[in-house]
Amino acid sequence: MEGNQLRYIVDRLVYLFIVLIIAISGVFVLVNKMPGDPAYGLAVSIAQQRNMQMDQALEIAHKIMGVDPHESLVVRYFRFISNLFKGNFGYSAFYQTSVNEIIAKSLPWTLFVISLATFVSFMVGIFMGAFAAQKRGTIIDLIISTISSIIQAVPPFVLAVLILFIFAVRLRVLPIGGAYPVDVEPSFSVQFILKVLHHAIGPMFATAIPQMAAWTLAMRGNTSQVMEEDYIRFAQARGLKDSVIANKYIKNNAMLPLVASLAISVGYMLGGHTLVESIFNYPGIGFYFGKAIAVRDFGLLTGLFSLIVIGVIVATFIAEIIYALIDPRVKLK
Amino acid sequence: MKNRRFSNFFYDYIQPILTNKKSLIGLIILSFFILMATIGPLVVPLNMNSNFAERYQKPSLKHPFGTDYFGVDIFQQIVHGSRSVISLTLLASLFAVIIGTIFGVARGYIEGIAGKILDAVITVFLVIPSFPALLILAAIFTNAKLNAVEIALLVAIWLWAPLAKQISAQVLAIKSKEFIEASRMLNMGLGYILFSDIAKLLIPYIFINFVTQIKSAMEFSIGLMFLGLAKFDPTHWGIMLNYALYQAGALYTPKGFHYPFFIILNIVLLIYGGILLAQGIEEVFNPKLRGHE
Repeated sequence: MEGNQLRYIVDRLVYLFIVLIIAISGVFVLVNKMPGDPAYGLAVSIAQQRNMQMDQALEIAHKIMGVDPHESLVVRYFRFISNLFKGNFGYSAFYQTSVNEIIAKSLPWTLFVISLATFVSFMVGIFMGAFAAQKRGTIIDLIISTISSIIQAVPPFVLAVLILFIFAVRLRVLPIGGAYPVDVEPSFSVQFILKVLHHAIGPMFATAIPQMAAWTLAMRGNTSQVMEEDYIRFAQARGLKDSVIANKYIKNNAMLPLVASLAISVGYMLGGHTLVESIFNYPGIGFYFGKAIAVRDFGLLTGLFSLIVIGVIVATFIAEIIYALIDPRVKLK
Repeated sequence: MKNRRFSNFFYDYIQPILTNKKSLIGLIILSFFILMATIGPLVVPLNMNSNFAERYQKPSLKHPFGTDYFGVDIFQQIVHGSRSVISLTLLASLFAVIIGTIFGVARGYIEGIAGKILDAVITVFLVIPSFPALLILAAIFTNAKLNAVEIALLVAIWLWAPLAKQISAQVLAIKSKEFIEASRMLNMGLGYILFSDIAKLLIPYIFINFVTQIKSAMEFSIGLMFLGLAKFDPTHWGIMLNYALYQAGALYTPKGFHYPFFIILNIVLLIYGGILLAQGIEEVFNPKLRGHE
């Protein structure tokens, strides 16, 4: 049995690695099909600074970025992949720095907001979903389900824009952008941490509210299904207390599949966060991703996208392992 | 004979959808918008000429949703825009379902290396995050004037993979059933087995997915327009919302609040109709939600 499990894990790792290579290659080709020379922007600023001819400046810009315009896409592709294996995500022409450096300063902010949003939405969703299912058919269930469905009908970017305009622009209770005020030095003081939390509220809720609705509906569905299972009837027949059945039997069993999808949802949030961060000017990877598209920074774009795809695949792998641990049938495959 | 068939179809598929409360309400909401998209533009004239004397008028009998920054009637724009909103969404969902079904059935039926390759292709599209990829794709075409079919295809590329995955699992489960074996013994041919034997069982399933796609298809296409990444009909609600929030800054002026409000209200109501119909149909046809048989 142990050997079987190990084989399953190794098989999945090899398979997901192949998927990763295909996905990253696809993204590389896609990004490099975008119109515009990525070195152009850099060349313009060089030409202005050093008072130079444009074609001369372009040559320098290509040298700085390590790009040979006559080099074929295939050569560039293999260099990109081999760099990636060394942990080098590439070079950003717009910020004139390595993508690794941008990831190092932006990824913590994204992970901070995503984990906060995931924690809050999962906890509230599990509670509301289980509550609604136990009150099935009552007005409370109707209210919870209807509100969750309506929230699902609001596109995330509309929600983000509404939160920003209502709470930051009109009511002025939330900041307009940034991860902390520009005039404050980062430190580990209580004051600074409170400022950071204050700036995270907007993006956090814009991410958490749609998730909350999704968890609620999923948990409601799972709970209703578990309540029909035979072992619940057995537990009732054995004379167990209703509260014990509700918490130990129903809630736990309804929650298990959701715990596995928790990893996947975190992975997908990495990608889905792009718009929220752009709208809130929150300096996470999504913000830089949006910027990279706008200024055609191919290096930054491929680097960040690869990072997001790696994140999703790692999350998928973790979810599969959790599924295998929860559901013995998966191992037999 | 034909009549029998039709009445069976009615009792098997139509009646359960009409008796489920959620799908009925969803259907009513969607019918309202489809009516708006089909005959609305014929009944309501569109006058896009700016009239600065009338800018940011409050909702009234003359202007049911008020007027925008340029003094143009918002209701007229919503009615005319519904045509492109709904046609784009339906086209995108349709394309996603067609691509997803072809890949799903092929993956489920074909064995060996070819099957593995198909499976990898589906997984690649599953792990690539849709919205960022859509943004890049849209940036590639940002200067091209795309028609509805092209934009719908652009959106559909990022929607089909989950459906393909589910369908391949269904096909894997059905293909070892006796009647498929029987068809194979009778040398009925791959085409017959795939499109007659297997597809017949999948149709309710595919239909559910067509409806559940509507939400993301709408969200994606409106998002594309909202970000100004695809040039299209200026009365498309995504483009209207972009104008309202970014060009006209309607949320900064107290007078302009109704402008984005009515656009958002229509977007949310339309998507909500789709969600209700999907939830209702799922309750009716998904055996898992139906409980034990």
